[in-house]
Amino acid sequence: MATARQGMFLRYLRNFTQISSCASHIRPSRCLSTTLARDAKTPQSTPGNNLHETAERDYWEIPQREGQPSKFISPEFFPPKHRPGRRSKLRDYLERKDMLRRRKVIDIPEFYVGSILRVTMSDPCAPGKKNTFVGICIKRGGFGLGATITLRNVIEGQGIEICYELYNPLLLEIDVIRLEKRRDAHLLYLRDALPQYSTFDHDMPTVKRGANDPVPVNDTKVRMKPRPWSKRWERLHINGIDFSKVTLRPKDIKAAEEWQADWRTEDFAKKYEQPIDLVEQIRKELDEWEADVKQ
Amino acid sequence: MAASMCFQTYLRILPVNFVRQACKCELSTRISYSCVTTARSYSSTIQDKSTSLQSGHLESDLTTENLDFSVDYAKVRNILRPSPLKNEPWEAGNWTQHSKRCGVIAVKLGMMPLWTKQGERLQCTLLQLQDCCVIDYIPPEETQEKYGYLYVGAKNASPLYVGKAYADLFKKACVPVKQKLLRFRITDDAKLQPGTPLYAAHFRPGMYVDVTARSIGHGFQGVMKRWGMKGQPASHGATKTHRKMGATGGGGKPGRVRLGKKMAGQMGNQLRTEVNLQVVRVNTRYNIIYVSGTVPGFHTSFVVVKDARINRVKHPPFPTYVPDREEDLPEELYEDDLFSFDHESITFEEEVDK
Repeated sequence: MATARQGMFLRYLRNFTQISSCASHIRPSRCLSTTLARDAKTPQSTPGNNLHETAERDYWEIPQREGQPSKFISPEFFPPKHRPGRRSKLRDYLERKDMLRRRKVIDIPEFYVGSILRVTMSDPCAPGKKNTFVGICIKRGGFGLGATITLRNVIEGQGIEICYELYNPLLLEIDVIRLEKRRDAHLLYLRDALPQYSTFDHDMPTVKRGANDPVPVNDTKVRMKPRPWSKRWERLHINGIDFSKVTLRPKDIKAAEEWQADWRTEDFAKKYEQPIDLVEQIRKELDEWEADVKQ
Repeated sequence: MAASMCFQTYLRILPVNFVRQACKCELSTRISYSCVTTARSYSSTIQDKSTSLQSGHLESDLTTENLDFSVDYAKVRNILRPSPLKNEPWEAGNWTQHSKRCGVIAVKLGMMPLWTKQGERLQCTLLQLQDCCVIDYIPPEETQEKYGYLYVGAKNASPLYVGKAYADLFKKACVPVKQKLLRFRITDDAKLQPGTPLYAAHFRPGMYVDVTARSIGHGFQGVMKRWGMKGQPASHGATKTHRKMGATGGGGKPGRVRLGKKMAGQMGNQLRTEVNLQVVRVNTRYNIIYVSGTVPGFHTSFVVVKDARINRVKHPPFPTYVPDREEDLPEELYEDDLFSFDHESITFEEEVDK
């Protein structure tokens, strides 16, 4: 805890730096906090670290068949859970049929949030009528034919994010450069992290892996830029941020601890939210489709 | 006689729920049907019970077996009779510039994106025809009008909660009782035999339609939500005027509020029509029309689909699509400009400099 005397001293120091560096472009208030840096080893003062690892994406938790190897099903096949009621099953079925028809024409591979992809789109305005972009997948969104992915890269110091529709007929190719998972449902916090974590070379070679190799989980903890951030990430149950390097005010720490007492972390029935019949039906449709493709 | 009069006035004073309970009790034997109908006129919510009373029995009077049997019988009751379609079919009229076809009653299923061959995204609404068929036709001589009336019903209903008078309307067509019954005004050459089923192929890709439905109700809403007005500041001396509108008009010159001024009031739950929506795709197997654009109403609500008034198509399926008369249609019908998911991805050719 910072005593009143220390606080006074720091306030004085900040004012001093403001006066002295008014000509420079650096904002001193961002560099220096009025609170003392916390001890990183104590578990209470590091929000995010004491979370048990349940903040994973839904599609990791789809119940698998017993005694059979687990098979990846793309998350957009499952209708959103939070909208029951008037949703038509027939409409979902027809949408899945269209998705599988499109998947016969182009290959939409297995990938996760955190994988590095190269996407090629046809573009009437681009030279060569094609546009290619390499980046890390920071978000998978949408359901059915409206499913999207968001890729992020930093090009010449400028962060760029592009949102692609997976079933858009302009999409020519999706190439997985590096297949891996992260511990988080989305990586939107890379916007506030240091640029080195979202910078990728455009001509990256693809990482080869065997057909039956398990998908590696990337445990990197990113270093953040000094606050303010676009969101208060310390409250949002994120595992991929290195909070030991972040200086937080006591009131932020208190708020973050309150936010961690969330009923969702202890919801053991979560993986049964998706009706088993529906999961089985989707599996059956995919098996039929695979047999059809092999012929 | 006097006692029954007293009882009627008594019913008017009582709340509806109490009347319903009273009807269930042994009093129900003494209440004449006229009493019940007077009570019914006070509220539509009583309709479900009172109609079962009208048909001459109470639910509690029947055993479950008898109840099941009566439901099953009521479902097939109309079908057991000889259908009017067994008679000679009516002559199909020829399409002219002035002829007016009937519309259909569909159910809104939801929305789905589709793309054109240029890669443009279309937000499409899926409208399904569920058990849609013709119930009755009244020719223009009887209606005293230029047009005849064609009654169309949709979605088979449970006959238990339907009044006898309503159920008898479906006797003539020999079809099960429907949830929705509507009237279309058509010219005499577009008339259809009662009992004729209507399919989604009544509309073809490329045609334009007008879709009418009851919009989603939001209740009584203020000016900010209903009309998107800006409201007034939260502070700076504002007292009790934060979500209100400003002035309603001039003072001296009109000296009154103009008609149609946007104010607070009931929002939604009104009949709304979206005009000129293009049919881009038709599924003949599940009887689904894919319409480009949004349609009022929530999912699973009934919508009325008619030919567009403005963009009229020449030579549509007239008077309707009859599977026997035409060749077999494929399962999916596409508009010419719509991207089918079986095609290759879209590529653009490079322009050669001349």
